Amino acid sequence: MITCEEFFAEFGDYLENRVPPEVRRELELHVSQCRACHVLYDSTRKTVKIVTDSSAFDLPQDVADSITDSVMAKIRKQSI
Amino acid sequence: MVAVKHAVEVHSHASQPPGNTGVEVGFAREFQSGDDLAPLLAYRENFGFVPNLLRAQSSLPRLIEAHVALETIALVREKALPRKLKEEILLVLIAAQRDSYSATFRSMVLRSLGVPESRIRQLIVDFRSAGFSPSEIALVDFGLKLCQFGPWVCQEDIEELRAHGFDDDSILEASLVAGLTSYICATSSGLKPQPDGEIMVLPAVPIGPSEAALRRIPSHSTHGSSKKESYVHAVYQSPETFKAFLLLKDSHGFIPNFFRAQTAWPDVAEAEAVTITTVLGPEDVLSRVQKECILLAVSAANLNSYCVAAHCNLLRGMGLSPEEGDQVAVDHHQANLTDADKALVDFTLKINSRPNEVGSEDTDHLRKLGFTQKQILEAVAVTAVNNFANTHQMGLGIMPDFEPPVLFEQKKVHLFEVETRHTEWRSTVSEVRVTIDDPDAGLVADSQGGRLEAFEELVRRHSQSVYRTLMAILGNPEEAKDAMQDALLSAFKHIGGFQGRSKFSTWLVSIARNTALQRLRERKNVESLDEGGCDGDEDFRPRQIRAWQDNPEQTHSKEEIRQLVERGIMGLPAKYRVVIMLRDIEQRSTDDVAEQLGLSVPALKARLLRGRLMLRESLAPHFAPGGGRAAV
Repeated sequence: MITCEEFFAEFGDYLENRVPPEVRRELELHVSQCRACHVLYDSTRKTVKIVTDSSAFDLPQDVADSITDSVMAKIRKQSI
Repeated sequence: MVAVKHAVEVHSHASQPPGNTGVEVGFAREFQSGDDLAPLLAYRENFGFVPNLLRAQSSLPRLIEAHVALETIALVREKALPRKLKEEILLVLIAAQRDSYSATFRSMVLRSLGVPESRIRQLIVDFRSAGFSPSEIALVDFGLKLCQFGPWVCQEDIEELRAHGFDDDSILEASLVAGLTSYICATSSGLKPQPDGEIMVLPAVPIGPSEAALRRIPSHSTHGSSKKESYVHAVYQSPETFKAFLLLKDSHGFIPNFFRAQTAWPDVAEAEAVTITTVLGPEDVLSRVQKECILLAVSAANLNSYCVAAHCNLLRGMGLSPEEGDQVAVDHHQANLTDADKALVDFTLKINSRPNEVGSEDTDHLRKLGFTQKQILEAVAVTAVNNFANTHQMGLGIMPDFEPPVLFEQKKVHLFEVETRHTEWRSTVSEVRVTIDDPDAGLVADSQGGRLEAFEELVRRHSQSVYRTLMAILGNPEEAKDAMQDALLSAFKHIGGFQGRSKFSTWLVSIARNTALQRLRERKNVESLDEGGCDGDEDFRPRQIRAWQDNPEQTHSKEEIRQLVERGIMGLPAKYRVVIMLRDIEQRSTDDVAEQLGLSVPALKARLLRGRLMLRESLAPHFAPGGGRAAV
């Protein structure tokens, strides 16, 4: 079985689903047998999902519209 | 014993002139050392004599080392195909490239292996009647197609080889011989060594692959994204111990799929890594940027998406903007290179596409521009390494590590559509005009035509991305809103100059990034977006090791989670904040984000992982068992 260091070397691509099949097999085997790396993988995967679903830093539509209106007003004024 | 006797005879014949200092053996007039260099001794042992092709590289012995490593692994190592068969195939492929020097030199090697003169002649004139078995002819056809029509090699060609009983080992070796052909012919074309023996006269009618081989062409789907694996099977190798990976990690900063695909053959992968890093790594002659520009331009001329994507990324990692790298791939004459460097790239492109027209006037021209003999020599070696990699990558069908530039891919698709298969496709590549496929293209054109409503629609479409980019870098919502006006006004001011080399959204986010960076520069205590920032997190390793709840999102309200995420992201250094913002919240692709931030994909991926791990640390207390609402 690969070591935790070897697992960590491929970890970023594993999260992104960008590892070739022969590497994936080794990583999956390691995760199934190493509790620390299982926790790391599981919690980081959940972190990404939570962040992706969070709607964080949404600019409220009315604020976005107001900024757009202001910018377009300046542009139109310059264009005249 | 016959082979040894021949070797001695061939050597005595070929050693006119012997390795005396100052002897001209081609363009390389600074030839200094004799045949006692270790790689030359090794070469003589395996191949019977030292050809002028190697002697001509004596002023840079590491190039000889690279050459010998590749030739030895491709020909001398016998695992699937016998040495003599590989040498015979090599001669056929070289003759088909119309390279008289190399055909002469390889004929001498075949004589040293005991192959009769009549058979050598037959191989050159008509290999199909040289007594090859149908399976061996299939191998030669594969090699010919790979050398002459590389982009059109496809899965069906591999299936044809498998139907003849060839396994992965044989396919690898056949591809290696074709790659070596490209390497030797580029070196010979660039150095024009004096013949080692009586020059072989090549037939007037060029040799090509069979009609059946030419009828097998990739569908758009097979050279697009649907294919996920290379033609040969790989095995797991540790990035901590596998020699080829370690060499490449040092030289390239990442492990290319080119080497991952060859993990079943550690000696082959290692020899290739030695050759590639020995030629490309040192910066004592040409700079790495100069070498990468050659690699990129010649790979583009060879329509090799894999290598174009890799070298665009490597150039980005060396500080060139994505647009500059893409420009080298599309047309280096329009790129931000010095006139001398453009001429150097021209020289390597001529070696690649019009090898028989290369002459002393080309090297004289480069010398007038200030290039030394060693620099010209190294440019030839870089072209040779490139052509080896291009050919071998196509032979094994290795998947790209990164997305190639959209402009390049569209140019390539266009070429496939116009049926240039039987024409000089290498020279037509720079004549095709292309436009990028961007959903915003119509509105951009209208905006450039002065229609303000079109620009307003573009702003509304992308206001969230602009805000989030500014927020990530500046870290303050009010300042981000204020900067948003500056960024959008700047976009309007410059939209006339937007040429569509990237998507509009990528361009707009880049403007937002620059606007934010300008504001950061105007501040005191600037927070760096560069890799060498002073935040001391480069060796970040996870500390929280408690397992998380099964459904962490169900333990908190949506609003609580939003606040936790925003607080966590704002607690990150800016360089991680902006990566998380664009990749995970905006959900842009890794390649897009790298382009928007002017980073290489490997650098972006390293930053993304660190950012995610740091964010995980800050969220862990809330989502591990016992974490709860009170923590928000």
